[in-house]
Amino acid sequence: MGNFFLLLGMGLFTLVLLCLYRGVFGPGVLNRIAGICAIGTKTLVILLLMGFIYNRVEMFIDISMVYALLNFIGTITAAKYLEIKGDV
Amino acid sequence: MTRVTDDIIIRAVSRVLIPFIQLYALYVIMHGHYSPGGGFQGGVIMGASFILYLLTHGLEEARTKMSEIKAGVFSSFGLLIYSGIGLLCLILGSNYLDYGKLSTILKVIPAQARSLAILGVEIGVGITVMAVVFSVFFDISTGGITPEDEEDLGGRDG
Amino acid sequence: MSVQQIVSIPFLLGGFFFFVAATVGLLRFPDFFCRLHATGKGDTMAVLLSLIGLGIYEGFSLTSLKIIFIAVFMFLAQPTSTHAISRAALRCGLQPWTREKG
Repeated sequence: MGNFFLLLGMGLFTLVLLCLYRGVFGPGVLNRIAGICAIGTKTLVILLLMGFIYNRVEMFIDISMVYALLNFIGTITAAKYLEIKGDV
Repeated sequence: MTRVTDDIIIRAVSRVLIPFIQLYALYVIMHGHYSPGGGFQGGVIMGASFILYLLTHGLEEARTKMSEIKAGVFSSFGLLIYSGIGLLCLILGSNYLDYGKLSTILKVIPAQARSLAILGVEIGVGITVMAVVFSVFFDISTGGITPEDEEDLGGRDG
Repeated sequence: MSVQQIVSIPFLLGGFFFFVAATVGLLRFPDFFCRLHATGKGDTMAVLLSLIGLGIYEGFSLTSLKIIFIAVFMFLAQPTSTHAISRAALRCGLQPWTREKG
């Protein structure tokens, strides 16, 4: 089962690199925000899988919960700033 | 960043989520000795919940919940807890933050006194960090002008 | 392989499939609002399935309750942040893409 989690983690990491393309080259700042939100969502699943591989699940659950919180708050902050500034 | 968002979805969802974020911040402070966390991390999460309230509900309503003066008082109060525990150990006759001496007051063995005192200083650190994070965000969003200054400027101009 | 492990594998594979679909959508769609469709819905479903799979693998303990808590939080928070970004884009005057005639 550890090998299965490792393969899944490596596949998700490849998807993170693909999303990074949209985060770097997205035309305009809105595409970049969407890319970073997607990267954050995949990162939290990778963190949990790493916890299962190393048999220390209790430690990585708290970290992934905090990352979900910060992803949410950061995306709302960036969207609010763009709404007021009015420029893409 | 301080205008009230006229979107009912974001306001309703954040009103549901903010108490649970604060409960989670308290959990992170309390379990610092066993899982990743501690005083500073829990304080940052707590401050982030206040920032979310300010972003979604506007500046005036956030000011009724926690004003700049209250944030200043909270930050000093947290520091008072931390150095108060240290001074208590000094008064009892030992070094500055030597928690083992507290066992004479608390009537427990010195190891347990150390554990309780560490929890106490973590709580103090958490309160201070929460107040400072929120106060920095307040200063950035208002440009450093408090309501008392606005009254002074208005009175002077006319 | 116990029953828990056998039951959790389809959930994890389903989650991975939705992640791949969401990423392909993010890269290949022609317009910003279409990409937001893909990542907003696909990522939420994928995270939900993956976390349920991991919770079943762990069994019934405090850890699996915390994993379910993260899943409920993502279920509430991810669509809200998608809504916030799309509203900001509409306020900035971004026009949706339409297919040209012919």
